[in-house]
Amino acid sequence: MNFESILAHHVVDHKTSSHVVAVVGGLPIDLGFSPLIRTMWIACVVVIVALTFAARSESSLARAMRSFFEPLALFVRDQVLEPIFGHHAGHYLPYFLTLFFFLLTCNLLGLVPSMKGVMANPWVTAGMATCTFGLIQYAGIREQGFGSYVVHIVPGGVPAVLWPLLFVIEVFGMFAKCISLCIRLFANMLAGHVVSLAFICMIFIFSEMSKLAGAGMIVPSLGLALFIYAMDVLVSFLQAYIFTFLTALFVGGAVHPH
Amino acid sequence: MGDLLKPDLGLTVWTIVTFLLLVGILKTFAWGPLLKAVDEREARLKADREGAEKARAEAERIQKELEAQMAGVQAQSRELLAAATKDGEALRARLPAEAAADAAAIKAKTTLELAAEKDKLVGDLRREVASLSVLAAEKLLHKSVDAGVQKTVLDGFFKDLESTKKAGSN
Repeated sequence: MNFESILAHHVVDHKTSSHVVAVVGGLPIDLGFSPLIRTMWIACVVVIVALTFAARSESSLARAMRSFFEPLALFVRDQVLEPIFGHHAGHYLPYFLTLFFFLLTCNLLGLVPSMKGVMANPWVTAGMATCTFGLIQYAGIREQGFGSYVVHIVPGGVPAVLWPLLFVIEVFGMFAKCISLCIRLFANMLAGHVVSLAFICMIFIFSEMSKLAGAGMIVPSLGLALFIYAMDVLVSFLQAYIFTFLTALFVGGAVHPH
Repeated sequence: MGDLLKPDLGLTVWTIVTFLLLVGILKTFAWGPLLKAVDEREARLKADREGAEKARAEAERIQKELEAQMAGVQAQSRELLAAATKDGEALRARLPAEAAADAAAIKAKTTLELAAEKDKLVGDLRREVASLSVLAAEKLLHKSVDAGVQKTVLDGFFKDLESTKKAGSN
């Protein structure tokens, strides 16, 4: 059996339609539909419906949902944003709450059969990292003003001779931070799928050697796959938190240059 | 697996558009009411906490005032008790002397009254005896003595009696 082709079939997004709107640097921007986009939109609908219902309804179910969402929202506000942004936290709170719940829902939805692991695709996480990059620039310019923000990209106290060199390094560093965000999320979410699939494929790999060995591998392989699946639930929360926290940290660095 | 890393800018664009739309939608429909409710609850809790702290401070103040008042009342009661005890002791010390003085006064007064009564009774008795003596003498003499003679005789009798008594007492 070809493990790579099975893995590629499960994790690679395949366009079901093609609609190229532009070509940038020889790369086409194809806005065609795909299962991954479908999963992402389902995640959006789930988030919108669940949160809007929880926020606006007075039913007992809505209250129960609020009691689940509110601690998470307060955690993001009090533990992630308040220490970094202080009294500016309220302005950025909707963005970060949406970021956290969007990532969490996409990650958890990726564990549902027939759904795609949205954040297990580097071009999706690249989009999220691009949003973070944009937010860093927006927050930096909003809080400091354009001139001050550009000047403070380089830390204070640097000799004037080194300033241009450090400016280039810091700008690269800004990109590197966002690229690291992109790769971290993608790699962590992909890893769970790869390992789960690897454990399940062990049944078929062993059965090609011996039917008995294959049958003997069913229980341990499924057990390990289920363990990894349970771990993926934890990783879903963890990676949503890490991406949100690091985004807040990077944006906070732009807001408070000193 | 190479397909996974094959650039798909369309997916990136869809991700950015979807996410930013989601931020706008959730900000309007979910986070606004949810955070408002949270803020209101926190404000209510803060107000309740402040109210409770204020009430506790008020209660402590009242307790201190009451304790101070209680201490004042206790001190006052102690003073009153001490004064009453002192007065009682003074009264207890004074009463026997006053009682003795009163008793002595009553005794003296009674003695005087008794002496006066005795004198009066003696006088009455004398007069009665004299009257009876005169009556007896009158009967003896079978002769009536008029009132002027009787008075003269009696006055002379009493004068003799007084002089006899004084001589006897001397």
